[in-house]
Amino acid sequence: MGEDDEEARALLEGSPNEAGRGASAVPAVPRALPALCDPSRLAHRLLVLLLMCFLGFGSYFCYDNPAALQTQVKRDMQVNTTRFMLLYAWYSWPNVVLCFFGGFLIDRVFGIRWGTIIFSCFVCIGQVVFALGGIFNAFWLMEFGRFVFGIGGESLAVAQNTYAVSWFKGKELNLVFGLQLSMARIGSTVNMNLMGWLYSKVEASLGSTGHTTLGVTLLIGGITCVLSLICALVLAYLDQRAERILHKEQGKTGEVIKLTDVKDFSLPLWLIFIICVCYYVAVFPFIGLGKVFFTEKFGFSPQAASAVNSIVYVISAPMSPIFGLLVDKTGKNIIWVLCAVVTTLAAHILLAFTLWNPWIAMCLLGISYSLLACALWPMVAFVVPEHQLGTAYGFMQSIQNLGLAIISIIAGMILDTRGYLFLEVFFIACVSLSLLSVVLLYVVNRARERETEHEQGRGRERGRHRIGNRLQALSCQHRARRGARTHRLRDHDLGRSRTLNRLSHPGDPVFIFFNVFLFLREIESGRGTEREEDRGSKASSALTAEPSVEPELTNCDIMT
Amino acid sequence: MCGSEGLRRGWGRCAPSPLLLLSLLASAAPLGLLREETRQVSLEVIPPGLDAPQNLLHIRAVGTNSTLHYVWSSVGPPAVLLVATDTPHSTLSVNWSLLLSPEPDGGLVVLPKDSIQFSSALVFTRVQAFSGSGRPDQPPRLLHSADTCQLEVALVGASPRGNRSLFGLEVATLGQGPDCPLMQEQHSIDDEYAPAVFQVNQLLWGSLPSGFVQWRPVAFSQRQRGRESALPCQASPLHPSLAYLPQSPIVRAFFESHNNFCAFNLTFGASTGPGYWDAHYLSWSTLLGVGTPPLDTLSPLVLGIMAVALGAPGLMLLAGGVFLLLGHRQCSEYQPIN
Repeated sequence: MGEDDEEARALLEGSPNEAGRGASAVPAVPRALPALCDPSRLAHRLLVLLLMCFLGFGSYFCYDNPAALQTQVKRDMQVNTTRFMLLYAWYSWPNVVLCFFGGFLIDRVFGIRWGTIIFSCFVCIGQVVFALGGIFNAFWLMEFGRFVFGIGGESLAVAQNTYAVSWFKGKELNLVFGLQLSMARIGSTVNMNLMGWLYSKVEASLGSTGHTTLGVTLLIGGITCVLSLICALVLAYLDQRAERILHKEQGKTGEVIKLTDVKDFSLPLWLIFIICVCYYVAVFPFIGLGKVFFTEKFGFSPQAASAVNSIVYVISAPMSPIFGLLVDKTGKNIIWVLCAVVTTLAAHILLAFTLWNPWIAMCLLGISYSLLACALWPMVAFVVPEHQLGTAYGFMQSIQNLGLAIISIIAGMILDTRGYLFLEVFFIACVSLSLLSVVLLYVVNRARERETEHEQGRGRERGRHRIGNRLQALSCQHRARRGARTHRLRDHDLGRSRTLNRLSHPGDPVFIFFNVFLFLREIESGRGTEREEDRGSKASSALTAEPSVEPELTNCDIMT
Repeated sequence: MCGSEGLRRGWGRCAPSPLLLLSLLASAAPLGLLREETRQVSLEVIPPGLDAPQNLLHIRAVGTNSTLHYVWSSVGPPAVLLVATDTPHSTLSVNWSLLLSPEPDGGLVVLPKDSIQFSSALVFTRVQAFSGSGRPDQPPRLLHSADTCQLEVALVGASPRGNRSLFGLEVATLGQGPDCPLMQEQHSIDDEYAPAVFQVNQLLWGSLPSGFVQWRPVAFSQRQRGRESALPCQASPLHPSLAYLPQSPIVRAFFESHNNFCAFNLTFGASTGPGYWDAHYLSWSTLLGVGTPPLDTLSPLVLGIMAVALGAPGLMLLAGGVFLLLGHRQCSEYQPIN
């Protein structure tokens, strides 16, 4: 911190005008601002961190409002499950496209500050329109509200991450991501457990149930979005102020999206996409429809049903770093993905075919969901060159949203006509498709790995010449070892890569991925922040450059 | 409270002007005694001859060595009789003058009497309206077996007392023995035929060959049944009935004096959610039959999907394992070199 202070003072001395505008009234006297107002101080950054956490709170809170009020929405708006699930589908539709443009909009069109404010406004307006749809008893208006909400929600997450990087890179970034993640989970969980209660309170004060009660409840829920908007405004001000005082650059997502890269995607990457889509469509739509399932099949009270429905989110917060560590230490990403998918399959089978207490199955689901997030998303970085990472992640997220939108509608239709058992069987089929892809990926990987070993073996005999294109091989074990040294994305790189800036709706794992990576890096490098920063500043310009082969060889030799 | 006059008033008082539609769907075929695969079903309306408005519907389901008689009558409160005999030649004999008299005992006889294996009756004694609470929603596609018939009770066009009146139905049963039938709530994992309804309620008469009543705890507030019009249906425990029950002439005509009635209440809907007020319509279905109640099993589609869903990755894993194993052999040639 001492270095920071000195740096800050130096900066302040360089700009006496700014100092004069601060808390100190005496012009031209270089004097430190009070800690809370000094952008270079930890206290101030903590304030910013708080704002950042609450920036996303609103959208996380409101995203799952429909799930928390499933019975009420369907009853008050007199819609069947198919139309109810459209509320989720409409959230996903805009993001099928926006996944590619969110970063571009922030970097080139709005800038981070205005971008955040605009996206927050979208979230706010979306939620208000959603609530008005309830008050005026117009379901189409609710759908439209969710659409607007979707436009803002996902891009706001990108903005939130960009802010985090711009303020905390090389410092407490891991902690920041961890806290933001926790905040996201808290938002989802609080929503799940609060909205039903809020509805009953509104019902008591209005004297009846009905669409008005629903609308008013949602409007009150929308307060969280207004809170987030206020955070966005304050953040914009503080960010601008910091720019003035510290000559800090405005944060950029640094995303490079080239849609033509798609044709270069390898088979393993496509398999990863399939795993991702098939897995997540069996988790999020299920949670969206879960509450009634738990009340009807297992006889849970609405409160207990909400609690068990939100356990997946609750578990994923603390488990993610642990699993991240586990995955990184062992390096066998595919095996972990396999475990996660099999466990999820088991959880769905338990839910479908037994009357066992659903806490067991949902905890399994929560654990496997966290494990999958930690193991699956980093794999993308193993199979695409770094300059294509942005496109790969954007594409992955886009088809994930597309899958979620379509499967949400299908799930609603299945539930209305065939019931929960069939719906669960459908989800089992999805997870099984995912499992199939994992197995295929494993086989493909082993085949390529063998090729690599083969070449390696020959290479050793020939005097340890390595073949460059081995880099393309998807050997998770080797890659992970390498990753521990060279391939692990440094936070400066991350700041510029789209992957970091992906948060998506609650539970989107990209977030976890970075959190974990950074968390691990900190553990390993200890207090080596400065060194990392130096390296980072060099590396940031070389985003598209291939990692150098030399140190890698050394590492591999050491590890082998 | 005796005499048909009083009975009719009792019925009318509780349901002000409802056109109570009761339809009887015979899905044929009872015992094997029961367990006959198919039965010939014939429906016969037996009018009283005079210009009296009452009539009686007789459904006869004949198998190779047994007959089921379902008798439904508009005389008195809605009631249905179920009589199972072990001969394909049993007949129903109706003595209308006796049936319409205040003492209808013996007005309804199934001949030959000694062929009767099982007999029972359901009497829907009254429809009540009250404001209360219950719980949330869902359709009942009950599984028909050979030995069952489906009853559907529909309340149409009654003017309720309140805006959100709930309706209840008191059902009285009659068996041969002195004990009340057994009420069972079975939880099931299968809601394929009645989305989000994971329960089947059953009424079982004790001795074999015995009869049963089976229903899903769900009713519908619209003719087009779907999850959005489904309302929960709660059943109270069975209790031996008291004298105030209006008596059905056809039941009395058949069973004569041994009246071991047991009654239970069904409550439809909750004060929130779909209800009768949606379309002034309420329907509830139940299955009445002989033998053991049909059990829903997983549909072939579900089993097929599960087989493929679990089989495919399994096979893939196996194939992959073999592939890798073989590959490993080849590779292992390199090991000694190192």
